[in-house]
Amino acid sequence: MNVLLLGANGMLGPHVVKALEPHHTLRLTDVNDLETDHEYIKVDVSDLEHVVEVAEGMDAIVNLSVMRTDRVRAFDVSARGCYNMMVAAVEHGIRRVINTGPFYAVAGPTYERFDHGVGPDVPPQPGTWLYALTKSLGQEICEIFTQFHDIYVLDLLFYMFLDAETHVGEAGDPIAQVGHDLVPYTVSWRDAADSFRCALEVELEAMPSRSEVFFMFPDLPHGKFSNEKARRLLGWEPKDDLSKYWLKG
Amino acid sequence: MLTDCVDIVTQHDFTRSDLDHSSATNDLVRGVDVIVHPGESDPAADASSQLDYQMRCTYNLLRAAVEEKVPRFVYLSSLQLMDLYDEKMAVTERWKTRPTTEPPSLCYHLGEMVCREFAREHGVSVVILRLGDLTDDAAPDPSTSALYFDDAANAVSKALDAELSGWLDIFHVQSDVPNARYLTGQPWWSADDVSPSFSLGYAPRERS
Repeated sequence: MNVLLLGANGMLGPHVVKALEPHHTLRLTDVNDLETDHEYIKVDVSDLEHVVEVAEGMDAIVNLSVMRTDRVRAFDVSARGCYNMMVAAVEHGIRRVINTGPFYAVAGPTYERFDHGVGPDVPPQPGTWLYALTKSLGQEICEIFTQFHDIYVLDLLFYMFLDAETHVGEAGDPIAQVGHDLVPYTVSWRDAADSFRCALEVELEAMPSRSEVFFMFPDLPHGKFSNEKARRLLGWEPKDDLSKYWLKG
Repeated sequence: MLTDCVDIVTQHDFTRSDLDHSSATNDLVRGVDVIVHPGESDPAADASSQLDYQMRCTYNLLRAAVEEKVPRFVYLSSLQLMDLYDEKMAVTERWKTRPTTEPPSLCYHLGEMVCREFAREHGVSVVILRLGDLTDDAAPDPSTSALYFDDAANAVSKALDAELSGWLDIFHVQSDVPNARYLTGQPWWSADDVSPSFSLGYAPRERS
């Protein structure tokens, strides 16, 4: 499959490339320069014409682009970038789009602080934090396009990442401390990257609708969020064991 | 006090503003009681500009409103968001919006979404008026969702100080035309059976 990666040089990008390169032909794009053996084109996702241009000949688009803090660029990249991506998908008849974001593009503070058992299909309540809201707007744009075009958008939502083998997890670590719990939405880089392979392989017609959101994290004991849908529909089986963080030494 | 992104001639106080996230937007809203923000974007602008205005500029204005403790924000949306429903349906404010991918419709929807999140955090009371097709009185064949300018002005005036829920209130506004498509004046109710119902108090001018 010919796969276009937008934002391929971000934090998650190199891990996704590593997971996909044995199976697919990759066209990498990023706003920053990137040294790679794959085809690379420098692209700003807020540039509609350029996004449409680089999507030609692709079978799928994976959107890893993100801008979290700059007020102008956050809307340019996280929200309008999705519009541009979907216009490109329409233009070139690309039926498979994999979008990404943080879990709070759906489950913002109104869910996060109080509720448990939260799944990805709750009505989005991102709140007003710039990163969450702009990603949620982008996700909404994608969903609206799927209502009018034969395009499937699989939205993979993440939060904290770590390397299950090398992460130290000492006192004060904001993600995970051995024997002192971890953020209840943490996943290893490797498992996160593997979810993209699943999303590219899954049969689109097996999805309940053309716009589906997935919470991507391994089985965690907190009961805060649910990954059941990702396991069931994507066939994603996270492999890295993170139990050392929530088990007392 | 009036603002626009281009200069206009007016007898009122006027400040040209791009609604960016500089302190100028905070200066603009400091001390005001209500902000009225039209969701209509320049149809001549490209899609990117229209989306940018409706998402980013609305966000900037709401953020400034919260920071400056402006109590009420009136967002002028559009009944276009409900046009995909069958005309036979008694569509009210309780129905889900159905935007299209065309920039005007998509922009109104995304603008409402930004408003909704600010309202949810209770930083500012948001009133969304979904306006019908703005129509001149002399128009020979008004649409079934036409809204004459005097009715529109009346609705906006009501929204300035109507006693409402205090966080998010949505109202459909159109004029009294033959086969009027949308219901207006419906009171909001709450399922808890305790909260009072809320009404904008708007009624279209009777036209014979």
